[in-house]
Amino acid sequence: MLLKLAWRNIWRNKKRSLIIISAIAVGLCCGLFASATMFGMWDSMINTTIDRDLGHFQIHSKAFEDEKLLTDTIPNFENVISTIKTNKNVTGVSSRILIEGMASSATSSNGVRILGIDSETEKKVTSVYKHIVKGSYFEENWNNQIVIGEKLADNLGIKEKSKIVLGFQGIDGSIIYGAFRVTGIFRTESSIFDKSNVFVKEDDILRLINSDKISNEIVVRLSSVQQVDSVYIPIKKEFSNLSVKYWGDIAPELKFYYNMLTTQMNIFVGIILFALLFGITNTMLMSVMERVREFGVLMAVGMKRSRVFFMIIMETISLSFIGGIIGLILALILIQYFGSVGINLSAFTEGLSQWSLGTRLYTSLPFSFYPPLVLMILATAIIAAFYPALKAIKLKPATAIRTY
Amino acid sequence: MALIELNQVSKIYDETIVPIHAVDNVDLKIEKGEFTAIVGPSGSGKTTMLNLIGGLDQPTSGNIIVDGTDISTYKPDALINFRLHHIGFVFQAYNLIPVFTAKENVEFIMLLQNISKVKREKKAIEFLQAVGLQDRINSKPTELSGGQQQRVAVARALASTPSFVLADEPTANLDSVSAESLLDLMEDLNRKHNMTFVFSTHDQRVIKRAHRIVTLQDGKIKSDELNPVHIKNET
Repeated sequence: MLLKLAWRNIWRNKKRSLIIISAIAVGLCCGLFASATMFGMWDSMINTTIDRDLGHFQIHSKAFEDEKLLTDTIPNFENVISTIKTNKNVTGVSSRILIEGMASSATSSNGVRILGIDSETEKKVTSVYKHIVKGSYFEENWNNQIVIGEKLADNLGIKEKSKIVLGFQGIDGSIIYGAFRVTGIFRTESSIFDKSNVFVKEDDILRLINSDKISNEIVVRLSSVQQVDSVYIPIKKEFSNLSVKYWGDIAPELKFYYNMLTTQMNIFVGIILFALLFGITNTMLMSVMERVREFGVLMAVGMKRSRVFFMIIMETISLSFIGGIIGLILALILIQYFGSVGINLSAFTEGLSQWSLGTRLYTSLPFSFYPPLVLMILATAIIAAFYPALKAIKLKPATAIRTY
Repeated sequence: MALIELNQVSKIYDETIVPIHAVDNVDLKIEKGEFTAIVGPSGSGKTTMLNLIGGLDQPTSGNIIVDGTDISTYKPDALINFRLHHIGFVFQAYNLIPVFTAKENVEFIMLLQNISKVKREKKAIEFLQAVGLQDRINSKPTELSGGQQQRVAVARALASTPSFVLADEPTANLDSVSAESLLDLMEDLNRKHNMTFVFSTHDQRVIKRAHRIVTLQDGKIKSDELNPVHIKNET
């Protein structure tokens, strides 16, 4: 009955209650949508990085971590790959030969990372093949095909089917040059990646360095990012002689950005709620001041001050939660909608590619963000109610009854 | 032992600036079953005395014994609890909870007394029937006339099964028909259920119906007498 009283009291002044409910709803909705946009950017950054290059986790020899030399190969890499493949959550495993080298055209040259791959297994791990804008992804029959980024092609002044010379240090330390023909040109979300990475078939590299099959890097792709811990930790334990790192270790800046983002978003929503706190306090204070006589009567007839206090707290919590829930629903609708159709940012393509971001931003907000938010709304309501409730219970019934 | 006993009770306002003796050294005893009116001109101390008897205010000196309990030293929370269980209030401006229906207004007091929902709903309807509002149990105060609202207030006062009912100018806002009807009701409750009523009033209609009239002037009791009209009617 006390809750019923609190609820009905909210609707005594509908206009005033609706104004504050709208303020809470709109403030929260905007705050959440802004947070979802930021999280969407992070999601996009991390997903495109995983998709394009990193995979969910990678394996190297421990020596490779230091100098990244061609000779720092993974011992018994084929066994490692077969063991990993037995895990049902693994959707793709690709072995790579990695070489730092120089790509030269007739007019220019550029430092590049050469990735010697099996084009079929690589397709199951990364998505560069989806970003081909000219030519194809290793679909020709001839040897020494190379797939390069559009930015590198521009820098070197070359086109599809142009010749390119790769120079790098071989296993014995000698400098090796190999001529390749551009079979495909890709354009990903990251212009930096496009400028500095070239893909060639591992057989072509092995022939140039005159070596049997080797691997510098094993890239693993899982069915979802949530399974990283459950797959990568056991593998890390099993191959303790190797360096097994998940995407967060490989790209710590992304992990750091995520941690910062969560804190930043909580502070951001906290600031919005803090501003709303004053509005809620004001509304409740007006409501209390309008009902001085009523509080006097309630206390005169025997309502304990603690119950009066509780009633005002309940009114404020109800008011805040109505606004909060409406704000949450509106935000969820917006986040869902823009999470599926995306926000078109093609006007900022150049700038976004520097940040490895696509031109369509899909909003998302992790579920873990919501429970603290509910607690924050609750805390805001209680803090906002405190002063008006205190004011009410300090009233003297004898005087309050005669207030008109 | 008297139901209400005031011994050497004084209430002084603004003690440090210009002291106002709202109630000045008053001795008064009211027995169970009385139908007493406290009368006097404005500023004579009627309301202050009623507040003191009702535990809404504390005396500056003296003691107030209600139902055998000295309430003059009670802390505010203890007084609230005492009022809930011992005193029924009827106010001049009815003072019902506007968002509640008549039934809910009566029920609310019993909720504060932690009476179960089923029991309090049943009792609330009984009390509203007793004050003749069985047809208006689901009406909100704004849907009731002044007289009907005051009847709900009486039902609310009775709902806590108090030792006595304090009524502060209960007829001040009522037309003569409603006022007479309300007084009939109160007198009936007094006669049939031996319910004690203490009014503060300067309404002649109430004074005429009171059994005992205590007249105040400048915070002191000027006279305390049985109503001759009532004595005549009794004989």
